[in-house]
Amino acid sequence: MMKEMTFDRLITNDESKELSLKRRRKQFIRHLPGDILKLIVVILFVFPFYWMISTGFKTYVEAIQTPPTLWPHTFTLSNFQKISEMNIDLIMYSKNSVLITVTTIALQMVIMVPASYAFAKRDFPLKGVLFGVVLLAFMIPSQLTYISIYLMMSKAKLLQTLWPQIFPFGANAFGIFMLRQSFKQIPEELVESAHLDSASELQIMTRIMLPMSKSAMITIAMFSFISIWNNYFWPLVMTTSESVRPLTMAIQKLRDSGDAALQWNVLMAGNVILVVPVLLVYVFASKKILNAFAYNGLK
Amino acid sequence: MGEIVFNKVEKSFGTNKVIENLDLTIQDGKFTVLVGASGCGKTTLLRMIAGIGPATAGQVLLDGKDITDVAPGKRDVAMVFQNYAIYPTMTVRENIEFGLKNKKVPKQIRESRVVAVAQSVGLTEYLDRKPNTLSGGQRQRIALARAMVKQPRVFLMDEPLSNLDAKLRIQMRVELIRLHEQLKTTFVYVTHDQVEAMSMADDIVIMDKGKILQQGSPEQIYHDPNNAYIAQFIGSPAMNVLPMEGGYQYGFRPERVMLSHEKPKGTLLCRRGTVRVREMLGSETLYQIAFQDGTMVAVKMLQDTFQMNEDVILSVSKEHLFFFGQDGNRIRRDETTALYCRLLRTVGGTSDV
Repeated sequence: MMKEMTFDRLITNDESKELSLKRRRKQFIRHLPGDILKLIVVILFVFPFYWMISTGFKTYVEAIQTPPTLWPHTFTLSNFQKISEMNIDLIMYSKNSVLITVTTIALQMVIMVPASYAFAKRDFPLKGVLFGVVLLAFMIPSQLTYISIYLMMSKAKLLQTLWPQIFPFGANAFGIFMLRQSFKQIPEELVESAHLDSASELQIMTRIMLPMSKSAMITIAMFSFISIWNNYFWPLVMTTSESVRPLTMAIQKLRDSGDAALQWNVLMAGNVILVVPVLLVYVFASKKILNAFAYNGLK
Repeated sequence: MGEIVFNKVEKSFGTNKVIENLDLTIQDGKFTVLVGASGCGKTTLLRMIAGIGPATAGQVLLDGKDITDVAPGKRDVAMVFQNYAIYPTMTVRENIEFGLKNKKVPKQIRESRVVAVAQSVGLTEYLDRKPNTLSGGQRQRIALARAMVKQPRVFLMDEPLSNLDAKLRIQMRVELIRLHEQLKTTFVYVTHDQVEAMSMADDIVIMDKGKILQQGSPEQIYHDPNNAYIAQFIGSPAMNVLPMEGGYQYGFRPERVMLSHEKPKGTLLCRRGTVRVREMLGSETLYQIAFQDGTMVAVKMLQDTFQMNEDVILSVSKEHLFFFGQDGNRIRRDETTALYCRLLRTVGGTSDV
């Protein structure tokens, strides 16, 4: 006797639609806790930003009012006007900030690229030890170096220039580390092939390694930009005259600009001015930065 | 010109000596294939010629000139890598002309050479594309074009076909043979695939554990292998090598076997067996025949006349038998007749029926 076989009934079109709806609902519920967590994280990060911007457009009375208002009821640009009318040479401070930032990043690139290339692709004596030294530099808190660097700069008679804010950041240990990782992922054969193609080391770096590590480069430059641009304490210690101070120190002056009380609204408006360039750079570079992390995360 | 001579070459990685006291001559204008299992040192030799993995000791000569310590870019050699090593951020054109640019070849000559080479490998319409928009086969062609455009004295290829699918590989094999025919330059080709070695080479160098086991034309190596390792390495399916008394071994190629139901006439080695596996491949059929003692041998037949589990008689004539000594080395001369008689006595054959 043949054994009787059973089949599952095939579903109709309508049933299929209903089923897909059900599956989607199930998926939504499954993802819900994660989504809520993400939302909380976003709020945690975005809210201070929002608070800064909204306060920058409030009047003084509204800025110190309790309970605080979530958005400016009387939207005003007077804070920005006030800043421009004050006796602070914003142009000079901005120029200093830009000069310091651009020169430092350029210097970092010049040092970082060959160093990373050597650590990633070349063999030389004491390679491991030297790389350890780089990492050590990465781990030492900069606060420890204040006094010695100040004395050094003073002896070199550089305190009246922008250099004390540039030289100490010329070697970017984090950058060397990260770019080395990125270079390491480039197959050895590409370098060998370039050697066979009579390329010099400089050509290998600029024509092959760098174009392939664009994401990492942009990320490193971005981090450098933010940290140098926002640097406050270092210039405070290293500078004695206004003519070499960056924008961050101008913002600090705003705080004391009021007649008596702290002018939070003016201070926040100043911060908005300070942060706008950072935001602009981030908007243009964000995709590359995400790439760099996603790519580095793979291996 | 492009004759390469290795003179007492040695290579070690740390304390690990992979090649020791090796001598080898690669003839000018020949298609030479270095073949062996992975780790046998064939790629190490190739990298010595390229200059990207210099010898620890000894000399490498190119046309009589010592190039052991010459920089890779100054050696007049070009290399095609296994993963092609194409510069991903450059266009196909930039990839091909990178070497010429670095050598400061004038722009006009450069352009005409790039165009000519691109045409010969069929890349003309892709010259301004980025490599990642092209298929594996096309990337392979970029790598070839990049080597050809330099008009080197020696072409080095490190398993260039291993990343292609089977069909494309066979096609590229034919193209490489034709390319060599056309250029008549020295080709040094590294592979672990004996089929590639047999199909393309003028001269095969078989290596194992950093030593050269045999060098010769494909015909020589197939018909006259130096030892049991080579005999089993070259040919597909591999040669059947079976033990016989006194520690000797005898072997025969799967395609030299006759299968029948009755014992054939004439002087032959005969053994009874049963068909255990049958693979019908269209133009030929492969069988695995099990003897009574359980050993299996491969048989290749043009006809498909036997079925699974059928009892058959396997016979091989004397001229198709190979004998190997205790050390695995081939026994070539007078001794073979004695060994043959001994084999027939122990295994069986039609001469004593």
